[in-house]
Amino acid sequence: MCIPEFFIIRQPERMFKAMTAIETKNLTKTYRTRVKAEGLAASFRSLFKPVWREVGAVNGISLTVEQGEMVAFIGPNGAGKSTFIKMLCGILYPTGGSLSVLGLSPVKERRKLAMRIGTVFGQKSQLWLHLPAVDSFTLLGAIYEIDDRERRRRVAELSELFELGDFLHTPVRKLSLGQRIRCEVAASLLHDPELLFLDEPTIGLDVVVKQALRELIIRRNRERGTTVFLTSHDPADIEQLCKRAVVIDRGDVVLDSPVERLKSDYLGKKLVEVKFASPQTVPEMAGVTVLTKEGGLTAALTVDTARRPIGEVLERLSLTGSVLDITVSNPPMEDIIAAIFQKKPEADQ
Amino acid sequence: MKKHLKIMACYFRLNLASALEYRSSFLTQAFGMALSNSSFIFFWWIAFSQLGGRIAGYSFEDVLFIWATTSAAFGLGTILFANASRLTTLIVTGELDAFLLQPCNVLVNVLCARTNLSAYGDLAYGFILMGLAFGGNADAWLWFLVGTAAGCLVYTAITLTAHTLSFYLGDASLIGQLATEFSINFSIYPEKIYGPAVRALMYSVLPMGLAIHIPLRLSREFSPLIALAALAGTVLYCVLAGLFFYRGLRRYESGNVMVTRL
Repeated sequence: MCIPEFFIIRQPERMFKAMTAIETKNLTKTYRTRVKAEGLAASFRSLFKPVWREVGAVNGISLTVEQGEMVAFIGPNGAGKSTFIKMLCGILYPTGGSLSVLGLSPVKERRKLAMRIGTVFGQKSQLWLHLPAVDSFTLLGAIYEIDDRERRRRVAELSELFELGDFLHTPVRKLSLGQRIRCEVAASLLHDPELLFLDEPTIGLDVVVKQALRELIIRRNRERGTTVFLTSHDPADIEQLCKRAVVIDRGDVVLDSPVERLKSDYLGKKLVEVKFASPQTVPEMAGVTVLTKEGGLTAALTVDTARRPIGEVLERLSLTGSVLDITVSNPPMEDIIAAIFQKKPEADQ
Repeated sequence: MKKHLKIMACYFRLNLASALEYRSSFLTQAFGMALSNSSFIFFWWIAFSQLGGRIAGYSFEDVLFIWATTSAAFGLGTILFANASRLTTLIVTGELDAFLLQPCNVLVNVLCARTNLSAYGDLAYGFILMGLAFGGNADAWLWFLVGTAAGCLVYTAITLTAHTLSFYLGDASLIGQLATEFSINFSIYPEKIYGPAVRALMYSVLPMGLAIHIPLRLSREFSPLIALAALAGTVLYCVLAGLFFYRGLRRYESGNVMVTRL
């Protein structure tokens, strides 16, 4: 596929001048929540005598991201990822600390900043459900002050890049999830943002669409120098897209490391689930841990790919002669984070 | 300013296009609303036929004028700024995020992003009623149009103010609903049926009197001083509503509910 002109023209200052895209110092956000005991009586008491509690969602995060970087920002649910990103975008006001995004203050210069950032929140759509995506692009053109001729050109180019041609004029409600997400990402790129916040962009997508989307994001970063700040629960997103991973938990950064290191330390394990036609015992292999009982119709294994290549394990399993089905997957993000916590004291030493 | 007018026009076109996706629903709701409004006029006609003359200083024609103006103002307000009455939902569910991420005035962006199908019936009803009651009376039409524009803004500002309380109280949907009901009731009945305290409310906290009853008074007898005071009051109320919203916005806490734009 030839690369459209819109994506080849590069802005020299963006490509070659290393600038800080995101800088936060001791950024904090606390929420005041009402504490209420269980039951109706407590509800009445709380009505007249409420008890308040301060909850720290982000507790003094200091982080620097250079322009052109692709950073994975990961953590378990409730870790403070969304709150942190929302402060960076100007949606939420920080309680303390300082922050600068593309040299602007999200608190004081929200509109200027919004002109230069793009966002894809997997849970929130910026497209009109009952209208074709092309109509939403028209509105976004007005909002981002793109003249009609330029908008039409960009839509045509994004349509070619994301292969939207077949469904650009179909009401969004009639699109598959994958098609809708492609439209969402295209919408977020319409104004050619310098910094892209992607919050679970591949959630719910099938493997093929996920891969296509990752390739598009990589291409965008390579060709336009777009900085990408990604949160995802899919380890493959992090492995394939990012060079750096920042892990947070309970509002604090617990790990800031190159993804290569994260990969060798935590992402090198694969889960293999296998179904046999007749009860089998999984052969013993170094680097392979069998998680289920021996002699069953199914088995689950974890494979340390640094010690034993996954292909070799699959080959050995197939030699049993009665394999019906095999699934290979990454360990869930929660397990990876748990592993990070288990290993952290040792890494700190 | 030019940019925001373009955005408003764009929203209007998209909202109408979205409404027309369900043509029969659109027509049913618009026609149903016009029919519902007509039933009230029928009762007023019976009341005036039975009692004759004036009710609380208003003739049947005056009632038709305030009904037409209220209906058109309410219709226009909910065609252009329907999200004002959904603001609590937007605040509680975190739907404001999408608007805050865009480089334009949040208030314009939020208010204009939605329309209400039945409101087209209200707007059309106001104009039809004016046509039937006043024909080509230019004076009446002028004050009707002024009242419609002012009423649209005041009604939206009242709804906005009530729902902005959600930033402070958590859920002000009931207050919003009450504010809407009171505003409509203050508009569609002769003002003298209310006591002085309620009349004070009609010109202060819920100032629909400025937009509906003052134009009627001006259509009977023009007073530049009253016209100017009503205009100043309308503008001041709208500005204060906007400032109150932006003040509340600082307390916005967002949310993670799954959201689609309809």
